[in-house]
Amino acid sequence: MPRQISDGGKSLRQVVWDLPVRLFHWLLAVLIAFSWWTVHHHHTDWHIWSGCAILTLLIFRILWGFVGSSTARFSSFVRGPRAITTYWRGKWVGIGHNPLGALSVLVLLFAVAVQVGLGLISEDEDGIYMGPLAGLVSTDTSDKARNIHELWFNVILALIALHVLAIVYYRLRGKKLTLPMITGRAEVAPGTSPIRRGKWWVALICLAIGIGITRWIIAGAPPFSS
Amino acid sequence: MRSKLLAAAVACLSLAACGGWKSGQANSAQGNISKDNRPPATAKASVVTENGMTNTMVMLAVPLPKDRALQVMHERHEGMEAIGDANKALHRALGSSDIPTIRANAARIAQLSQQASTWFPAGTGPDVAKTRAKPEIWQNADDFASKLRAFQTAARALQLVAGGNNVAAMNARFAELGGACKACHDKYRTEESH
Repeated sequence: MPRQISDGGKSLRQVVWDLPVRLFHWLLAVLIAFSWWTVHHHHTDWHIWSGCAILTLLIFRILWGFVGSSTARFSSFVRGPRAITTYWRGKWVGIGHNPLGALSVLVLLFAVAVQVGLGLISEDEDGIYMGPLAGLVSTDTSDKARNIHELWFNVILALIALHVLAIVYYRLRGKKLTLPMITGRAEVAPGTSPIRRGKWWVALICLAIGIGITRWIIAGAPPFSS
Repeated sequence: MRSKLLAAAVACLSLAACGGWKSGQANSAQGNISKDNRPPATAKASVVTENGMTNTMVMLAVPLPKDRALQVMHERHEGMEAIGDANKALHRALGSSDIPTIRANAARIAQLSQQASTWFPAGTGPDVAKTRAKPEIWQNADDFASKLRAFQTAARALQLVAGGNNVAAMNARFAELGGACKACHDKYRTEESH
């Protein structure tokens, strides 16, 4: 049921991020910090758990990107270079990720997915802990994966730094981005088509699939495991 | 609706975190210790008596001359690496219940653990040459010695149980051995650098 927004030219506070998107965002931020902390404080088991939780979140987010609210869908925010140019000239209107921010979303999701993938097949230097899928590859591959996993974290750190810098930049130009990611609401230009909300039970199905796939991987991904 | 969704999401996430990522391995194995005919306490006691040499830690008060120190440090590095390699092979073999491989690597670790008694004489710390061994090893010599003994005991216990066919018990002993390695490494080894 589309709601027509018109308030005599004034901008309005409107829902732009649904709860699943916001939960995903903040849980991911917390879990990345937790993963970093645990691995530097010798809690490798918690570190692996944290990675599995991130895997669940990623699967959820990818699914929600196809069947979720309008601003969560890849089809609504993934745009080509022309849209990015339009945005750069200040002519883009809409809610949700702008065409340039969309790139950042994709790159961040990709970088985290790579990190999780590397972690799944890694083992620690002493052979005490193995990622859930480490048994599917050789010891040599596991050790290499761990080394790349450690180095790849720098890529993630750089992307996080860029992400935060962009938020600061927008803030200096008068656009607040952090609060909307907490409350879900932001000032939007009048006449902008409002968010189409996803169904809560669809979100639960996405989450259930995420948990299901994660558990299958934790079990060593049979029938591939021995 | 929102609060319902929130509650459900939190419930699901916590559900996801409830199982064991190693549920098929160490965790369930620990639950199966009782299947092992030998109670853990008895097993450990027998290990201690079998290894009269275990307690002879070389902790010389007088530091080694440099060339000898470098030689020991090299031997230590190679030895630790060999233990790590054996442990990795053993871990994978446990996953596939490959008992001959478990047996061979458990024996190798037990043997190397005995040699480890000679790997930490005074004067082989980071002030002498590049090493991840922390100076605390020689500052807390008694604690370090007891942790090294715990490692040797755990390695011997795994070797003993690997002589049989009870993979669940091997998993339990392997987890204990990992704990012994970790207790010492967490405290007395600096982080891996790249």
